[in-house]
Amino acid sequence: MESTNPQEQSKRSEWLSFLIICVFLFPILSVVFVGGYGFIVWMLQLIYGPPGHSI
Amino acid sequence: MLSKLKALWRTMTRPAKHISLGVLTLGGFLAGVIFWGGFNTALEASNTEEFCIGCHEMRDNVYVELQQTVHWSNHSGVRATCPDCHVPHNWTDKIARKMQASKELWGTIFGTIDTREKFLAKRLELATHEWDRLSANGSLECKNCHEYASMDWDAMSEVARTQMEQAAERDQSCIDCHKGIAHELPESMAAASGALAGLQRQATSRFNPGQQYFSIRQLPLFTDSALSQEAGILNSGSVITVVAQQGDALQVEIDGWRKTKGFGRVINEEFGQNIREVTLEKEVATDDSMIQGFEVQEDPLTGLPWQRVSFQLWMGKDDLVDDREILWQEASELYVKNCSTCHSQPEEAHFDTNTWPGMWAGMLSFVNLDGDTQELVLKYLQKHSSDYSDGHH
Repeated sequence: MESTNPQEQSKRSEWLSFLIICVFLFPILSVVFVGGYGFIVWMLQLIYGPPGHSI
Repeated sequence: MLSKLKALWRTMTRPAKHISLGVLTLGGFLAGVIFWGGFNTALEASNTEEFCIGCHEMRDNVYVELQQTVHWSNHSGVRATCPDCHVPHNWTDKIARKMQASKELWGTIFGTIDTREKFLAKRLELATHEWDRLSANGSLECKNCHEYASMDWDAMSEVARTQMEQAAERDQSCIDCHKGIAHELPESMAAASGALAGLQRQATSRFNPGQQYFSIRQLPLFTDSALSQEAGILNSGSVITVVAQQGDALQVEIDGWRKTKGFGRVINEEFGQNIREVTLEKEVATDDSMIQGFEVQEDPLTGLPWQRVSFQLWMGKDDLVDDREILWQEASELYVKNCSTCHSQPEEAHFDTNTWPGMWAGMLSFVNLDGDTQELVLKYLQKHSSDYSDGHH
């Protein structure tokens, strides 16, 4: 049942955007960033050798 | 489709008209909490043994081998699981390792080691990756549980203590000596373990004063006949002369040369040659009443003065032989067997005595020799170097 009321319409799309951001966009971006960070560290390890002593 | 995306983008980039700031923040906050929890749960779930042995490559090869070792079952009931040793514990390195596992996914998909034969053929390469990693971080994952500082030397056998104390002093990487502790060694490297046991069976039990004897392995020296005050360590393959016997102890004389720089803890067999014979404790090395000094000569190559010294200490009666050739024969076999696996080994006389220690140290990470054996073979190489043979470079 598509609502024709523009007020209702924009409220719906606001909630939809909010859910998309919270449930899909940001979690996926987070995983991509962390994964990308790990990948970069791995590539650096390939160039500079495995990590050494921390102390 | 495109217009819908555009509409969505417009809504996202504008202030909300209908949803309050409080509801948005609460929603974002809750979603964040759930995500954070989920992320860590997933990270932990992929850090369990069940996860690791989910692939038959792990379950049928390395996991089975682990079950025969002390890291699987032992008297204290503590055991190591796959990630304890193979996944770095600090966050950045852990994430990098997780990404690196994409290579393992690749391997699973394309069946790189999907049979035992393929795995065995690739074992050396795979093991070398882990050894490189553990060498670089000083065996950090081992040291998460095992600490030099917490080791009780008195609870160890004398053989273990002699090696461990030296390793602790240098904060040595565990993997230097303990390759193959949790999984089988690559085929080409399995031969050397327990190499000195054969020599120990040929050890002398009768000692005559005035006669020379030779150490099979690194042996502790003491200042007293009760063998309680440690004075230093006699290196593998070194010469001592028996002075007297008392119960289970031998009084021995050791002659050698040391550089007059520093404390002079290292006693070498001959002038100008870095063939280590004894490493003395600092207190003993600096005690003039214990160490008799003779003439001083300057080494023309390094400009360092060397002094001839002689001293008498006490030691146990185990692991000495009366013929040095017995040692050289074993060492020569070990040298050929271990080194020829990868390359044709250089002739003993290809290098001079003072070059061998560096050459040897550079090669040690490719073989699996314990400290006693390393030193014995090094001494063999030094004593058969170009300095001691004719007609070589």
